Amino acid sequence: MAASRNRDAEKGGRLRAWAVRLVCVLFWLAVWELAARAIDARIILVGPLEVLARLGELSLTGEFWASMVLSLGRIAVGYVSAVVLGVVLAALAARFSPVRELLSPLMGALKATPVASFVILVLLWVSSRHLSVVIALIMALPIVYTNVLEGIRQTDAGLLEMCDVFAVRGWDRIRLVYASEVLPYFRAGVTLALGLSWKAGIAAEVIGLPDLTIGEHLYDAKVYLDTPDLFAWTLAVIVVSVVLEALVTRAMGWAMGRWEARP
Amino acid sequence: MSTGCAFGGDLTLALRDVEKHYGELRVLEGVTARFEPLRAHVLMGPSGAGKTTLLRLLAGLERPDAGEVARGSGVRLGMTFQEDRLCENLTATANIRLPRPRLSGEALERFLAREREAMAACGLPIDARPVRELSGGQRRRVAILRCVLAEANTLLFDEPLKGMDEKTVELVMGFVAPLVAERTVLWTTHDERDLRFFNDPILWRVEGGRVCTC
Repeated sequence: MAASRNRDAEKGGRLRAWAVRLVCVLFWLAVWELAARAIDARIILVGPLEVLARLGELSLTGEFWASMVLSLGRIAVGYVSAVVLGVVLAALAARFSPVRELLSPLMGALKATPVASFVILVLLWVSSRHLSVVIALIMALPIVYTNVLEGIRQTDAGLLEMCDVFAVRGWDRIRLVYASEVLPYFRAGVTLALGLSWKAGIAAEVIGLPDLTIGEHLYDAKVYLDTPDLFAWTLAVIVVSVVLEALVTRAMGWAMGRWEARP
Repeated sequence: MSTGCAFGGDLTLALRDVEKHYGELRVLEGVTARFEPLRAHVLMGPSGAGKTTLLRLLAGLERPDAGEVARGSGVRLGMTFQEDRLCENLTATANIRLPRPRLSGEALERFLAREREAMAACGLPIDARPVRELSGGQRRRVAILRCVLAEANTLLFDEPLKGMDEKTVELVMGFVAPLVAERTVLWTTHDERDLRFFNDPILWRVEGGRVCTC
């Protein structure tokens, strides 16, 4: 009975939170629409209704979806590579202090350097088609590396002593103790890195201008002063970002829940 | 219920002229003790007398400043620490099974059944919650079961029943005592009543840097 009441209260709380969020979003959309009407110059600002209509038109073209898939695919390759590389490097850095010392300035530089500098530099080294792959990797790598390394370093020394006593070593220690301790840090790292990779990858496309990508369309919209297109493509980028983050967060939560619930 | 332990090999557990200091604090001074295998040894003494240090030396978690700690090649250790030392994100059964990481197939199923039986006997809930959601007393029982269900012939217990109410102590020890009866047990406590859980235990006094049998 009490549990059922708690569930109802929790559900009610969630609904209220969503309602408040929706009202806030609607408020800002209304402000945007009113501002567009007040300015009354499509080249400077278009309202949300027009943007939505333009996005609807774009979404009916094959070019829109081809651009989305190409941009998303390339950035995903860079992001996934960064996650794998970040975990491997963090494990090596935790195990061998010279590796940690060696990587420390590199990761610091990757975090501190503006993305635009990297884009211009990398453009000198690789073709524009591969630019977003490299940039997504560069953006995500230090975040995943730092988080996973921190997770390993924060692993309870008492648990490691317990493993010593019970002779739990090697791979068993990694999958049972380190994985359990590092997973929350890993989850935070990959979620944070995802948004950054996506945005930086698109920014790289705007500068590198590879064919049939979101970045190219954003650039064209700027050159031709096509503000509705600019807003529509930007909205598409935001929608993909939100959906990706929700998907990754839910997938990680589901995987963690299953992993934790193992008998 | 079988413990599944191998009792063969050299089960020596001894200290020879062991000294251990922490900075200026002298914890153990010239301690020599030999713990007879397959017997229960109850170590008593005031707080800070060195009982935990003694167990940590025997477990190989500390090195003596002088002297020698001897552990036979056949010794397979299990330990309940003063803290629970559980993997917070794993279930109770996964924590209890941690010292047996390679179980699979039928062996895993058999051990899972054994774990559930042990948990029910100790009044623990059997569910899919990670141990971070268990109460302090429940977590303590998980730590004790991890130790006694381990494939170990030498069990070190550092004040395992501390903070447990009398009813739970009886419940837990009703299950644990027969399981540890034929293994080497080193049991530190402040409570003389713990002696009743063991058959003919050897009582040791740890005090003033010295360890001696009473």
